[in-house]
Amino acid sequence: MITLPPSERDLHAYVDGQLNDADQQTMETYLAANPDLAKQVLAWQLDVQNLRAGLSGDLHRPLNPELDPAFIRQRLRRSRSRQFATAAVLLIAVGVGGLSGWQAREMTLVSGVPAMADAVQAYRMFAVNDNMASDWNTGKPNNAQVWLDKNFAQANRLPDLESAGFKPVSGRLTSTEQGAAAMVVYKDAQGRTLSFYIRPPGDRNHLLPRGTRRDGELQADYWSGAGYNYAVVGPADDPAAQAARQALKQPI
Amino acid sequence: MNDVDDQLRELLPRMRRFAVSLTRDHSSADDLVQSSLEKALSAWDSKRPDGDLRAWLFSILYRQFLDAHRRSRRYSRMLELFTGGKEDHYEPSVERTVVAQTTLQAFERLNTEQRALLLWVSVEGLSYNEVAAILDVPVGTVMSRLSRARQALRLLSEGEITTPALRILK
Repeated sequence: MITLPPSERDLHAYVDGQLNDADQQTMETYLAANPDLAKQVLAWQLDVQNLRAGLSGDLHRPLNPELDPAFIRQRLRRSRSRQFATAAVLLIAVGVGGLSGWQAREMTLVSGVPAMADAVQAYRMFAVNDNMASDWNTGKPNNAQVWLDKNFAQANRLPDLESAGFKPVSGRLTSTEQGAAAMVVYKDAQGRTLSFYIRPPGDRNHLLPRGTRRDGELQADYWSGAGYNYAVVGPADDPAAQAARQALKQPI
Repeated sequence: MNDVDDQLRELLPRMRRFAVSLTRDHSSADDLVQSSLEKALSAWDSKRPDGDLRAWLFSILYRQFLDAHRRSRRYSRMLELFTGGKEDHYEPSVERTVVAQTTLQAFERLNTEQRALLLWVSVEGLSYNEVAAILDVPVGTVMSRLSRARQALRLLSEGEITTPALRILK
């Protein structure tokens, strides 16, 4: 029910024919008595008429067959089957990738990469190089253990090889496929070098039984514990290094 | 299925007209209709409300237009940076039936929402409630925006203001 004088909204509702019959009637009576307002309303009504007339031509444009619903449906089906095709190709690709990945893993386990090869590689690259940039060295306020604990939570204690004359002199963080790794380099008075290497076991949690292997002139002793894999790498035939390995076998 | 297509076919001229009023260009209007129909057909089973099919289609078309417009505005702003040009120049279509040229010219200069509002309410005769649902605003808001659109159209038709209304009313 509208009130008089009518609000502007009611006037627009009148123009748009959105008043109920009674209100429509009330409005017409009111407008008849108020010519100025009636003029304004009439102008709006004329605009509506002009718009309808002016825009009616656009209703009669020639048909565009590409807009026919049947055509659109066809297009949709085609693009859907393209999507399915793409998805199928992707699935196949993932399948092939997964299979070869699995095969690669089998190969790794059976024959391929020897245990803790990265530790040996790190030894060759960094440990014997005295100019190696280090993340920790004896000049730092903290000892090697504190430095290591900052980067590897709850790792095994660094092996105490002092009985064989080896002391930690530097440490370096590196990254590997399995995650962040660290190497602590030990040296004795004669400059002989051993390394202690720690890294996560990797995605497949590939833990190692305690073992030893020879790699050229180097020997790697490896084991797993506390969520990490470890290795000690050093010259294979050196007596001082052998003594250090004996020390390693003591409970850490 | 055919029944649905017939309903759509019947509304096609109205969709195309609405699209032209938004894009001011026949071929991009048809592109807009096409993408809106795709959207409507894909969403038919899940999204179609019980009410007026026309209002639902207008609402899809309007959103598609706003999305595309936003994208192209971003693009033309970028273009402007490089060329120093101005966006949004348009020539009123000469193909249009010349019946009420002044009103039409004024209509063309309204902003997007005002054009849509006047077309929905004045030309298509949608109810305020339907328009409120399309724009997702209260009915009262529809009424006050409509009132402003109508006044802007009036002023522009009378030639009292020459700058596009969207600059003033935004």
